[in-house]
Amino acid sequence: MVKTTRTDWGRRQPPLRGSSFELYAWFFMRVSGLLLVLLAVSHMFIMHVFNDTLNLDYEFVAARWDTPYWRAFDWLLLALSLLHGTNGLRLVLHDNISDQTVRKLSLSALYGTSLVFFILGTYVIVAFVSKV
Amino acid sequence: MPKQKLVSSGGIYKGKTSMWLYIFHRVTGVALFGYLLLHIISTALILLGPEIYEGAEAIYKNFYFRIAEIGLFGAVLAHAINGLRIITVDLWRKGSDYQKQLNVISLVIFIGVFVPSTYKMVVSYFDLCLEKSSPETTVTDCILRPIPDWK
Repeated sequence: MVKTTRTDWGRRQPPLRGSSFELYAWFFMRVSGLLLVLLAVSHMFIMHVFNDTLNLDYEFVAARWDTPYWRAFDWLLLALSLLHGTNGLRLVLHDNISDQTVRKLSLSALYGTSLVFFILGTYVIVAFVSKV
Repeated sequence: MPKQKLVSSGGIYKGKTSMWLYIFHRVTGVALFGYLLLHIISTALILLGPEIYEGAEAIYKNFYFRIAEIGLFGAVLAHAINGLRIITVDLWRKGSDYQKQLNVISLVIFIGVFVPSTYKMVVSYFDLCLEKSSPETTVTDCILRPIPDWK
């Protein structure tokens, strides 16, 4: 019988050589998370608490996007939340799908969906011209 | 007993509250990602002009969606505060020694922000509903039916 300590969970050792992708992904979640606390929570307060969404109309958005700063704010929020969410879902799918084929398919679907929504969202923020 | 059976539990998160918070963080994360995609679509409709955009927004303008909106606000807030807790545990040298205290602080911050915000969102709904509807409209009407004359 091998005596073990409580902290020894038998984790695999990190590879000595190879990709640091997972390390950067872990760090990205912390950095983007911190930024999203500022961006997403202030977005929620501005749109849902300080203003009422019952008053949300075309002119409200047109007035916001009249300034490049709000377009930049919204694009940063779009890009960071999509990346943060995509990486989060990548981990959830990786942890919960053991079948390699299903895992690869679902990850491909995730990356494809995120890319399409990133392009769509970016296009909307850049191309919007007010009609009123 | 073989060594493997004793130590091979790397995939299991052992902890009571922290384990539930880990599951909570994943559930809210997946839900918020789903909402994000819906939100991008509904906002993208703005390129099609005021009628289509405001027609889509009108779907949200009733009390049932106000409750969902409060849930969305709570999910964002809880995910954000729990994320800050995770960062604290990960990056603060003594973070893992104070997990219980950090859990309590996180809950207190969440309640302290969520309760007044929810109050504002509910009161504001009825204020605007009664203001924009015909004079005989009651609070019950505001709960039961969508307001026809929202833009």
